[in-house]
Formats: sequence, structure tokens, C-alpha cells
Amino acid sequence: MSWKKICAATEVPKNSLGKFVVDDIEVMIANYGEGYRAFPPRCPHMAEPLCESGMLFDGLLTCSKHLWQWDMKTGEKIGIAERELLFYDVKQEDDDIYANVAQELVYEDDDDEDEDDEGDEDFFNAD
Amino acid sequence: MKIQINARNRAYNFDDASGDKILSIGLNRAIDLPYECGSGTCGTCKARLISGKIIDQWPEAPGRKYLKRKKGEFLMCQCAAETDLVIEVESFVHTMEAGACVPAAIKGRVGSAKLLTADVMSLQIELEQTVDFDAGQFMLVQFPDVAGFRGWSMVNYQRHARMVEFVIKKKPDGDLSNWIFNNNCEDVEVELFGPLGGATFYSRLAKNILCIAGGSGIAGIMSILSRAAQDGYFSQYNGDVFFGVRTMADTFFLDELSEFRRQCGDNLNITIVLSEEDAPASAQTDYPQLVFERGYVHEVAGQNMEGRFENIRAYLAGPPPLVNGAIGVLLRARVTTDNIRYDKFS
Repeated sequence: MSWKKICAATEVPKNSLGKFVVDDIEVMIANYGEGYRAFPPRCPHMAEPLCESGMLFDGLLTCSKHLWQWDMKTGEKIGIAERELLFYDVKQEDDDIYANVAQELVYEDDDDEDEDDEGDEDFFNAD
Repeated sequence: MKIQINARNRAYNFDDASGDKILSIGLNRAIDLPYECGSGTCGTCKARLISGKIIDQWPEAPGRKYLKRKKGEFLMCQCAAETDLVIEVESFVHTMEAGACVPAAIKGRVGSAKLLTADVMSLQIELEQTVDFDAGQFMLVQFPDVAGFRGWSMVNYQRHARMVEFVIKKKPDGDLSNWIFNNNCEDVEVELFGPLGGATFYSRLAKNILCIAGGSGIAGIMSILSRAAQDGYFSQYNGDVFFGVRTMADTFFLDELSEFRRQCGDNLNITIVLSEEDAPASAQTDYPQLVFERGYVHEVAGQNMEGRFENIRAYLAGPPPLVNGAIGVLLRARVTTDNIRYDKFS
């Protein structure tokens, strides 16, 4: 286990989201009223940054790009969402929020993301 | 060429000799492939190349930022097959329902082009053949001297349409809008593909409707109002329309909206929302059928609709900040996502 302090509880008021960086790992914290969730800040659909597209109401996290939703209480996808969110274990101790971020969680398709377009210009047209 | 599309639920196989883009070919075969803008921006139509060669017709498409290119991802709306292909689409893909308006390539000619405001133009395009579309849909349109298709929502609504009307906003860095505003468009021959888009209205919906639009986004809402008016929809259900622009000088379609209100009666309420100024007193005198308010259109809509969000279907159209703001208003009011419809073009 590698529990890291992510933020003070006051930094994520009830029914809100916050993005934080711990040891170079970006972590979203959702305060859904009855507790907290910690997860990577990317929608598992099209990697939309959930710090911009995410909305939290009534315990439901919604990505506004295509309205995929997840129930923060159960952690399950609902509605038209086709993929589950990955979650870090999270806990509150005194006034701080901690998450178990021993290793960055990445979605199956994101593990070797290509940030650099150089060198693959001819990918599709290569003989 | 043989094309195989492996979706999460099943595979589709077909032959194609057109050389058209893969999205167009699939949709034209009533395969409901994932897409949103259809014009290279949103990334929704991404797929993965398993085998074969493709030609990317717009390598600079903004939607490529959503791709993992080392995994062979590409935009179906911009790529055509050069050889037999096997591709993979991550989502579930179904065939379109019977009676759906299946998209097709159509040729047309600009019949009229007229300014609605200093930077908004109405473009009417006469079609070589009739087309059926649903209220709220859009078409991709390409002009001969400007590369690429643009997605524009239809303003009108009728079955077997011989003409489609669009609203074009002049954008400072928009190649096509600049061309349209700086040239005589009449009689110019254009290519179209459509109809596209799922933010559609049907009279069998049997819900109150809420429309929140900004600027040229009112186009698709006009089509929805047209169909609803034709079907007498507002004799049974309520309609609330909020149309946001910056100033009174930016308003348009006020005569047409007034006519909808006259035709449909008290169950249809139309509010014009100005973000940068109060409406002059003359506005209310000139357009007694309409209500004028000041503010951000999604916020005004949220305040006006308080307590009236039940049994509602919401249609949103306009710039992304407006659509996102409106989604927030609707989610906060506990409108379920299946009752929030919009086509994001970004």
C-alpha cells in the first residue's frame, strides 16, 4: 500500500471535483456527499480531461463530451457508458484525503500513448 | 474493395468501389457507426486499422488529437480505403432502424444567400434530388473552392425536401465562411452528405420540449419548431425556447419565431436572451409574441424553467461553453441524460 495525501478535505467541497498532482501522478477527487472517490483525470471513452468535462451532481459523475456517467457511490457505469472508471482506494483521515497511488492507473488503451507524432507520418501509407 | 468493420457486438462486411470515406460508406449502408461532427473535429468516429491501407484525406484534422496513432487509430470521417480493409470500432454498432433517413451523397446548388446580421447568413441550397431528414439533423456541405466538408443544421423541415436552408456564422479564421461572405454564392454547385445527427425531434416523443440555443445554433431548433408546429404538437405539450445572442443587433429569425408563437399559442414560450445589453423598449413592442431577457442563455433558461423540468426533452445547440453550461443546468435539475440531446461540433 502506498497511501499519499492528495488534498485537504476543504479543497473539495461537497458535490464537487478537484484535480491534484502527487508524485507526478494526476488524481481526480470527487466529493459526492457521502464520501470520496479518487480516479485518473481522463474519461475512459476518449480520454477527455475530466477536470474540464466532468460534472458531479446527485452522486453521478458525467463526462459532458458524450454524457457517459458513473455512480460515485457504487463506482459502476450507468446509462450509455460502455467502460468502467478505474479507482484508487481513497480514505479520509482527520481533515485530509488520502489515496493509494502506488502506481498510476491507466486505461488499457492508454498505456503507450503516443504524444509525439514524429516518425509515424507514413504509418498508414507504408508499404 | 472489401471492407470489414469489427464492432464490439458484431462484424459488418461490404464491398465498396466508391473510394468515399469509410464513415460515409458505412452510414450509407445504414450501419450506424459512431460519429458526431462528421467533419474531422470531434474524434468520435475513431477506429483502429487491423489490416490494409487507408488514405487520410485531412492529416491535419483537429480530431486527430484523440487518436493513438501507434495503435493504428484513424478518423473514419477523413479516411478512405486504398486496399481491402479490416478495421475495429470499439463501441457497439447497430443497423439503423427501419424508416431512418439513411445518409447519402447529394448534389446541390446555392439558390439564395442573404445576410441575417452583419456576421450571420442564410443559405438556401436547391437539391438535385429530394431528401428526407428528421427535425434537428445536419448535413455536411462542401464548396468547390474550399477543401473539406462543414456540418450545418437544417433550418427547414419537410419530407421529400427539394431545398435545405442553413445558417452560416462568419468566423475570423474560417476559410469557408470567409469565402461565402466574400463571394457571390448564388448558383455555386456544392456537394452534400447527410442527413446526420441524433439530436432529433419526433412528434411521438410525447414530452415537453426545452430548446436552448446560442447564435447560429438556433438553426436546428427552427427545424424542430417547424415540425412541431406542423404536427400541432404544442396543443398537448409545452415548448420553451431560449435563444441567446450578444446584442439586439445579433438577433435574427425574430419574425419567424413570432410566427411560430402565433401559430402554436400559449404552450410555446420563446425567450430572446441578450448577454451584453438590455433589449431596447422597442423590441417588446415590435415583437409582442416574444419575451426579452438579459443574461447567459443557459442561466436564464435554468431560472425560468425552475420547477418545470419534469417530463422534458432538452435540445441544445451552440458554442461549447453554452452547451456545457446547459448540460450542467439540466443535470442539476435531474434531467436524465437520455433526455439531453445535442450534436457537439468540437
